[in-house]
Amino acid sequence: MSFERFTAELDALWRAASQAFSQVSDPAALEAARVEFLGARSGRLKALQKMLADIPPPQKPDAGRRFNQIKKELEEALRQAQQRLGSTAAARSRRPPLDPTLPGTRVGLGKLHPISHTIEELKEIMGRLGFTVADGPEVEDEWHNFEALNIPPDHPARDPLDNFYLSVAGQLCQPPLLLRSQTSTVQIRVMERMPPPVRIIALGRVYRPDEVDATHYPMFHQMEGLMVDRHVTMADLKSTLRLFAAAYLGQDAPIRFRPSFFPFTEPSVEVDFQWAGGWIEFGGAGMVDPAVLAAVGYDPEQVTGFAFGLGVERLCMRRHQIPDIRELYRNDVRFLRQF
Amino acid sequence: MIVSWNWLSEYVDLPVTAEELTERLALAGLNHEQTHPVGDDLAIDLEVTSNRPDWMSHLGVAREVSALWGKALRMPKAAPQATHPPIEQFAEVYVDCPELCPQYSARLIQGVTIGPSPAWLVKRLTTLGVKSINNVVDITNYVLFECGQPLHAFDFDKLQRRTIRVRRAEPGEQILAIDHRIYPLEPDMCVIADAVRPVAIGGVMGGAETEVTEHTRNVLIEAAEFAPLSIRSTSRKLRLRSPSSERFERGVDPEGVDWASRRCCELILELAGGQLCEGSIHISAARPPRNPIVLRLSQLPRVLGIEVPREEVRRILAALGCAEQPAPSDTSLCFFPPSWRRDLEREIDLVEEVARIHGYDKIPEDTAIPVRPAPCDEKDRVLQKVRHVLTAAGFFEALTVSAIPESWSEAFSPWTNQPALACQTPMIKGTDRLRRTLVPSLLAARAYNESVGNESAELFETARVYLPQPERLPDEPLMVALTSSRGFHDIKGVLEAVLEELHVGDPLEVEEYASDFFDPGTGFRYRLAGQLWAVLGVTSAATNRLFGLRRSSTVAEFQFEPLVRLAHLVPRYVPLVAYPAIEQDLNLVMDETVRWAELERSIKRAGGELLERVMYRETYRDPKTDGPDKKRILMRLTLRSRHGTLTTDEANSVRDQIVRAVEAECGARLLGS
Repeated sequence: MSFERFTAELDALWRAASQAFSQVSDPAALEAARVEFLGARSGRLKALQKMLADIPPPQKPDAGRRFNQIKKELEEALRQAQQRLGSTAAARSRRPPLDPTLPGTRVGLGKLHPISHTIEELKEIMGRLGFTVADGPEVEDEWHNFEALNIPPDHPARDPLDNFYLSVAGQLCQPPLLLRSQTSTVQIRVMERMPPPVRIIALGRVYRPDEVDATHYPMFHQMEGLMVDRHVTMADLKSTLRLFAAAYLGQDAPIRFRPSFFPFTEPSVEVDFQWAGGWIEFGGAGMVDPAVLAAVGYDPEQVTGFAFGLGVERLCMRRHQIPDIRELYRNDVRFLRQF
Repeated sequence: MIVSWNWLSEYVDLPVTAEELTERLALAGLNHEQTHPVGDDLAIDLEVTSNRPDWMSHLGVAREVSALWGKALRMPKAAPQATHPPIEQFAEVYVDCPELCPQYSARLIQGVTIGPSPAWLVKRLTTLGVKSINNVVDITNYVLFECGQPLHAFDFDKLQRRTIRVRRAEPGEQILAIDHRIYPLEPDMCVIADAVRPVAIGGVMGGAETEVTEHTRNVLIEAAEFAPLSIRSTSRKLRLRSPSSERFERGVDPEGVDWASRRCCELILELAGGQLCEGSIHISAARPPRNPIVLRLSQLPRVLGIEVPREEVRRILAALGCAEQPAPSDTSLCFFPPSWRRDLEREIDLVEEVARIHGYDKIPEDTAIPVRPAPCDEKDRVLQKVRHVLTAAGFFEALTVSAIPESWSEAFSPWTNQPALACQTPMIKGTDRLRRTLVPSLLAARAYNESVGNESAELFETARVYLPQPERLPDEPLMVALTSSRGFHDIKGVLEAVLEELHVGDPLEVEEYASDFFDPGTGFRYRLAGQLWAVLGVTSAATNRLFGLRRSSTVAEFQFEPLVRLAHLVPRYVPLVAYPAIEQDLNLVMDETVRWAELERSIKRAGGELLERVMYRETYRDPKTDGPDKKRILMRLTLRSRHGTLTTDEANSVRDQIVRAVEAECGARLLGS
């Protein structure tokens, strides 16, 4: 007998038997089906087993494997049928009891990093407020990282020791390049690219030289929001941030502005949310400085805008009560598993 | 900046408690750090933003209080009586570098009596945490904290040839400062010298050799203005910060220099005696005149969203020291900003001042923001799907730093031969190369996990890499990388699952990737739609040593952008065929060198449209029967017709066609035939 014929018959037997087992409705019929297909002396499966001997030797192991597989499946089908019909006590006693308290067989799922969870949440909230996600490079030139943001050459923020200036093959890059120190660079790139109105958020890595400790890391993530149009006021900024706070905290929370200073906004403020009886710091914000609007070719007499920025790590750490920023970047699987 | 409550109350009535005061100041821009009692006084620590050097003094804070509560400001007179001949008869002052020192003023007091300071002065300084030295030095410090202008007192008799020369340091010069440490000086630093040597690091710290001691009789009082950038760079280079340098690097009030000098002399005459020489030597570079600022009242609602009454605007700006000028129209106001507010230059600056004092709490937070659609970014959706596949496949997302050590950077760079960009300052000790691949960082994270007992960390990361381009910004393609304990084909399966999830139909083409990074024969690159897309391999022993890995890992990295281009996020429905399929297993024996891709190509071509699917099942070897260098591949064919139930004969005929084709094209023989 050829291998192919053998397997075809095996398949046919499997189909017939499993149909029979699944359709019988009383123990007597089941017993009849059992004898017909799995009977030890003259069952059809037994008959096929005898034919195994005639399979050409090279294919014999394969045929054997398939035979065993089918046999196992049919025995299982029989067992299920017996169980379904509440059949013989013998069948039940042969099978040890199922322990439903044993742990289930788990699918090995991985997890996203907590920073990713936070970023996704921020994107989602801001998306509902009509802000689309914009993108820009992490390696920047001085125009986008400083000049266009109203940070003149003599500004302390441009100190080479406070920035990651880049070199290649031992030579400082010309024109000078550096890792962006804030996501505000994306504001500039977006406004250079499109006319107002603009309503975007930018999320990503930023870099500042810092000694590593529990709250400082030379790389971190920021979210930056920007809205520019005719008639955008500080009241719109406050209202937008209040909506954000309500969505993020899950409940309405008053906000307050404290005056602050950033070169690229004026007026500039620090933003706090009132929460659990105190004020928690949200981040910096302000009205886009007219010099910034002019730098990208917008007319500050025609449009106004607001911008805000916040540190993603801080939000993430507060939300999950992570005390040390370094934990975020060690990538210990025991840590990653928790989120 | 630490403010003494008692001291502050000398200049302005404090109408509220310390708590209310700091709360209101915070809402005006002076953040409150903490307050602690010192004796019967309070030390209030306030955080001053870099644009407000005028707040680094008691008078500056008092001015803010006076504006906020509408209380009068009491300025000391600073009118010392001169009783000796003019200073020019005794001293000479030269400024050689006006670009570093735009203003220098010297006064001379003869016959002082150096001694301890009176108790009230010691107490004031103690509240601020400043140690009392002697009456003259304490007075210079007192005036610094009073008005923000740093001062220095020289022992005049120790100045060679009674000369002050403000100049750049000469190469190789050094100075013993009053902290009794020696500082090497450089030509871009400004020094105060006498006729022969530096006697102070200008604006940063005085020298020990000319400092005022108990033997000093005659003192020269310096009040000057130094260039902020130069002070900043000098103090950074010397790692020397002082209350002086902190103020100069933010910029002092250019018109307050002479007031501070007079105030200092007044106090010295009062507390240390002596006779003031007539006049001062005052050298000052010309500076551009400042212009008055016009504030259109309509700008307030335009920017702030609220109206502020005209009279309130006038009151606020006047209280902050702005001098009102005739306005060009009756819908605007015009002001000349005070000399201590160099930050006020433009209309928007005045808008901010009005808002700050009027109070941001007056701005409503319930305006209606117009609704606008924010379509979900296609990239974002693809990225989410990629992450879903990877987490479902058991990978944990890692976040690693964008810079890596040189040795890692050199060990592996599958995407470019351009040398990596380097940070001038290492990001973390020893890591300064901007990475051109994420794989090394993930292997390091894997090794870290091994070291803490997490035997097989299945990690992935999505991040940018930095591929340098000559004379422009580098390319920053987003990459997705994996490290795993699983085998080569397991990880290839993950990559295929990603493509499947995104409905990318384009086939993968493979090419060898020879690199010492991988175990020989296990490194490959894959092209997708003709473009290089992925790299996959098993780490070599050398790589394992470099990263401190105990065991090899299968790693992969693929580019994200091509997926966005090739993905079909909205798949089209394909009708289901109602007719049954016939499955046939094929067991073929062939040379080891025959690759599955060739075999599959042959089978598909020969199978035609009746061949629905060919599924690889396993490879095994039986050298005894088949001879050396042969392998067996078992596969399952699924045959189905769209037009009717396939008969066994039809199925067999397709199968036979396939068998003939693989025999002819791949030299594969059906087992048992």
